Amino acid sequence: MIFFFVLLISMFLSLAVQTFIGPLPMIGARVLLMPIIMFYGSLALPTPGMLALCFCGGLMWDALHTQIVDGNVEIALGWSIMLYAVLGTLMSGFRPLFQRGRWEIHCLLSGVCTSVIVLAEYLMITFRREPVVFVFNKEIWWRIGGAGLIAMLLSPLFFFALNYLAFMVGYDPQPERRAKRAR
Amino acid sequence: MSRRIVIPSVIVFLALTTLILLLSPHNLRRVQAGFLGLISPFLHTGSNVEKKYRGFREGLKSIEQLEDENKRLLIANKEMSATNQTLRGLEAENNRLRKALGYQGRTEFTLLPARVISRDSSTWYNQIMIDRGSHDHITDDMPVLNEEGLVGKTTVVSAHSSLVVLIADETCGVAAHAEGSREQGIVRGERTHNGGGIPTVGFNFLSKLANLKPGQSVYTSGTGGVFPPGVLVGQVKDFKVGALDSYATIVPAVDLTTLEDVFVVVGHSK
Repeated sequence: MIFFFVLLISMFLSLAVQTFIGPLPMIGARVLLMPIIMFYGSLALPTPGMLALCFCGGLMWDALHTQIVDGNVEIALGWSIMLYAVLGTLMSGFRPLFQRGRWEIHCLLSGVCTSVIVLAEYLMITFRREPVVFVFNKEIWWRIGGAGLIAMLLSPLFFFALNYLAFMVGYDPQPERRAKRAR
Repeated sequence: MSRRIVIPSVIVFLALTTLILLLSPHNLRRVQAGFLGLISPFLHTGSNVEKKYRGFREGLKSIEQLEDENKRLLIANKEMSATNQTLRGLEAENNRLRKALGYQGRTEFTLLPARVISRDSSTWYNQIMIDRGSHDHITDDMPVLNEEGLVGKTTVVSAHSSLVVLIADETCGVAAHAEGSREQGIVRGERTHNGGGIPTVGFNFLSKLANLKPGQSVYTSGTGGVFPPGVLVGQVKDFKVGALDSYATIVPAVDLTTLEDVFVVVGHSK
């Protein structure tokens, strides 16, 4: 329970921090820190915790980013919650492997899922804006892929730091690894 | 994990999500304003730290550099004051003449200075957050500009901060006209900006005979009532004629990527 709140506060702070990091020059991709923590939470927490984290993460994300112009809501508040829950469930499927102490595939997956979030956002605004024009040039692909690539590179660092935080508050996200070491 | 825990948690999750998805735009604004109020103290602190760091780096200049800069700024300030005085006189004269002709006098607007406390972290939107909110009498759809030209307009307003959608965003449309011609159109942001470079905006719905030239200035026309007339939007970069109308690409007068201080047009004072 304590670790859930630690993750929630970390997500909130990372959302504030990432607003100060501008897009990367030349490729225009953003550094998205909050999804990395949320995906880590999907691995470290059991299903109810994962769902609660996805709910809070999606709500915070949409509350900060949903655009209302001239009274029109472009993307409804709450769509990110659904998307995060789907991706969180996908990550959660790899939880047994994570509990055994493996993290490599999870870091890769965290990057892929971050790209999926950016792609889904792009598709949503494309469908909502008129005329519906699918622009898929190099810049768009870089923004989508670049965000995932950055998340993939940062994930090991975040996973390590969050594992340490879990240890500090007395939560063990990888119990099988510890048991194996004890043997 | 036991199904007795997982199934109820999934049901609660779906119920809460459905509730959120069904929120009306009015309630959505309230949720957003509430969250902005929650996060803005952190953004204020972050912005102050960033400013102090920048100030420290700039403070490392030599005395000669500072003296030179001070001299330049004093001259620029005097020039601006003189120009401002002349323009105020012309504005008053213009209003008198409009009144004499039976036209409604143009209103002078009051500017409220605001500081940018964060730039948007999402990939597809062009927004900034400023440190002024409803406590400073800011409401939705108020124009935002700086000394160089038009910046955007306010969207979500909380007590002490507001979101501003920039003119480089696809959702922000501005009625504008080109200098030295009677051409009017809509300035709207573009989704891609050629590799994250200087954002450009499109000037749409121009007549095929518009024939705009690169470098020509584009100003707000005041149509629509949100933006005051005569604010510089940018300069024409290129001009293309289409099948039914023509289109120009504009480089905004304001560097939207490095904004620090802006002004909100809070009201009209006659």
